[in-house]
Amino acid sequence: MTAPLLEVRNLTAHFARDAAARRVVDGISFHIDPGEAVGFVGESGSGKSVTARAIMRLAPEGSPVRWGGTVRFRGEELLTLDAAAMGDIRGRHIAMVFQDPMSSLNPVMSVGAQIDDILMRHTGLSRRAARRRTIELLDLVGIREPAQRADDHPHQFSGGMRQRVLIAIAVSCQPALLIADEPTTALDVTVQAQILRLLMRLRRELGMALMLITHDFGVIAGMVERVYVMNGGAIVETGPTDALFAAPQHEYTRALLAAVPRIEPGG
Amino acid sequence: MTEPKRPRSHGQILLAVGLTMLALLVLLVLFGPLIAPYGAAKTSPASLAGPSAAHWLGTDSIGRDVLSRLIVGGRGTLIITFTAVAAALAAGLILGLASGYIGGRTDLVIMRLLDVIFAFPVFLLAIAVVAALGPTLRNLILTIAIVYTPTLARVVRGPVLSVKRWDHVEAARSVGIGEFTIAVRHVLPLVISPVLVQTSLTLANTIFTVTALSFLGLGPPPPDPNWGSMLAEARQFMELAPLTVIGPAAAIVFASLTFVVLANGLRDVLDVAGR
Amino acid sequence: MIRMVALRLALMLPILLGVSIIAFVLMRALPGDFAQASAGTSTISAEALDTIRRSLGLDLPVWQQYLRWLLAALGGDLGTSFTLRKPVLGELLPRLAVTGELTLIAGLMAMLLGVATGLASARLRGAVDWAVRAWNSLLLAVPNFVIATLIVLLFGLYFPSVGIFNYVPFAADPLANVASLLLPALSLALTVSVTISENTRAAVLEVASQDYVMVAKAKGLRARSILANYLVRNALTPVITVTGLQLAALLGGSILIETIFTIPGMGQFLFDSIASRDYPSIQGIVLLAATIVLLMNVIVDIAYARVDARVRYD
Repeated sequence: MTAPLLEVRNLTAHFARDAAARRVVDGISFHIDPGEAVGFVGESGSGKSVTARAIMRLAPEGSPVRWGGTVRFRGEELLTLDAAAMGDIRGRHIAMVFQDPMSSLNPVMSVGAQIDDILMRHTGLSRRAARRRTIELLDLVGIREPAQRADDHPHQFSGGMRQRVLIAIAVSCQPALLIADEPTTALDVTVQAQILRLLMRLRRELGMALMLITHDFGVIAGMVERVYVMNGGAIVETGPTDALFAAPQHEYTRALLAAVPRIEPGG
Repeated sequence: MTEPKRPRSHGQILLAVGLTMLALLVLLVLFGPLIAPYGAAKTSPASLAGPSAAHWLGTDSIGRDVLSRLIVGGRGTLIITFTAVAAALAAGLILGLASGYIGGRTDLVIMRLLDVIFAFPVFLLAIAVVAALGPTLRNLILTIAIVYTPTLARVVRGPVLSVKRWDHVEAARSVGIGEFTIAVRHVLPLVISPVLVQTSLTLANTIFTVTALSFLGLGPPPPDPNWGSMLAEARQFMELAPLTVIGPAAAIVFASLTFVVLANGLRDVLDVAGR
Repeated sequence: MIRMVALRLALMLPILLGVSIIAFVLMRALPGDFAQASAGTSTISAEALDTIRRSLGLDLPVWQQYLRWLLAALGGDLGTSFTLRKPVLGELLPRLAVTGELTLIAGLMAMLLGVATGLASARLRGAVDWAVRAWNSLLLAVPNFVIATLIVLLFGLYFPSVGIFNYVPFAADPLANVASLLLPALSLALTVSVTISENTRAAVLEVASQDYVMVAKAKGLRARSILANYLVRNALTPVITVTGLQLAALLGGSILIETIFTIPGMGQFLFDSIASRDYPSIQGIVLLAATIVLLMNVIVDIAYARVDARVRYD
């Protein structure tokens, strides 16, 4: 058996502002193997997004989060890593795709410049070399005429196209783990399937592990090998996707499954 | 669970400090001439004297007591300020309420007219008006009322536009209450918070305008002392008697600071969004 | 875009017209006789006064006087200065350049100081935030002419060798010219920096909570690059707008500051004109200043609308 890429033990998280805060993540443990696709399913407020951000050590501005437990990436503890070393991991080894493509791109920078800057940060490429790679990446995520579009600003792109740009940013340095936090929730239904297919393809081509976070069981069917079901900051059930779909053990899982509209993804 | 005891908020402290400072200013207005140790125009042989037991802040170039002139001059400055802002507030309330509540063509005409005044740099307009009408007390008050009316009218009009669509206005109308009564009794009280904050800021600005006009020689005519003219007069000999400059400067800052602190406190306490 | 500019300028016209009416009426509402003031003396024969009246068009109905004056003003003729006996516009323009330079330097200073303190306040929070806000409240309460007077006092008492009243014309020595404007500009800038500082603080706080800043952190970008490319660049748009709108305050303030530091700009010209009752000059200055402020507001508006289309795309 290979060593897990990511191993999380007893992770807790609470907002630092109020001392008697309830834990939004309450001692969860899980692992992700290299190249593996794992789904995290739960309603909003179940702690799945906070879990994802704990791995990246990201907290919303103005509401600092306190984390406890251990998060080991390739055997290295992330929660106690110094800020500079954590910055070397973010975007380079662990990357993230966020929920809302409309608000996740810097409105005053061209989309190309927003891919250049992560490349230049982690790969040491010159600005010109980075731009060449940026154009390849835009092409990779399915943006037509990438050389011209690189100079456009975010408002000139549709929501689906912006999510493709954000995916290009996330995969730009070929991370070992890609975290996708509700990557299709803010998109039109027709675009959702395209984005999911793109994520699948990139995962295969780049050999990344994928942590796919969603409230929708419909999204993960056919996408991931294993599933963790989260509720109230805890993992209530886990297992291979097929087994979970076939025979959900926990009442909460059954309720979530019952709510899935029958859309076949990836078809 | 017991409600934790809420500490005094930042705003409440500011408000308390501001009100205390305001009380001092009001006392100055009410009892100024009684407190002042000397008459404002009374000269003594010792000119440009330093601080002494007889003259706490020394004397000016013709031997008048600086402290007494500060007290009497402050009274004049503040009376002009309070009167002018009261007039601007009254005009602003009437115009802003009429503009916002009646809407349509009335709104358009009033706001365009105020825009014209708004187009001038406040201080430039004040100078021009006073220069044209002549620097008398009445003209000074009139000028300041004119230049600050647009700001106050706008602050009234904005929230009136939304409040007039609220349900309670419709309810009042449905039971036959007249439009005038609705505007004054049911709309106006709901927009008063931002108006209070702006009034306080306008008071601070007016202190500036009044003293600045006096500084340029466009204030109330002599011999009435005024913080602005005192500052201007003192400049000539200021290296010899720094207190003749620092005195009025500190007084002007204290008075404006009073209203700035008051405005900040009111903004916090009344939860008015930033400017 | 062109339509919008045209619309903004068209909306400006009625206001400008109102401004011109005020400027005209103010000077005609003067106590005393305009013709007498024009002659500059009260001992003048009735016939001579009549001649002046006719030459100035004062015998016409008021609305005709206004139209004549307005049409002349549109053609660049702002009348003849009573005291200098020269066309007002020709006297005004070089002085406007001096005031423009002072305003520009002051604006830049205010922006530098305001952005720096606002940024520090928003990013460092805690004691720095508290100190900046206290400093701003204090500054707001110190009028620029008081600051200027205190600066003059300070230099008079402790650095009498520094000649702070020595204005140097730009043509004579550009560097010395800018240097001679630094202290006056500082007295102007401090008050204006407060507005910029408060707006910067609010804008940075707002931008910092945006999703794209979280994305920038997730990219592993260094703090410096996030600050420069994500926080400041986005926060700067409203800040530049606010700075543009402070022009009126700077222009108004320059009247006092020029008088105190004896700088031969528009402010001092206005002050001298008032002292000598030179009404055509006062009128010209008022009209020109109001026009500049109006134009500036339109420019800021258009610039902001352009940026706004880029920023607020939903």
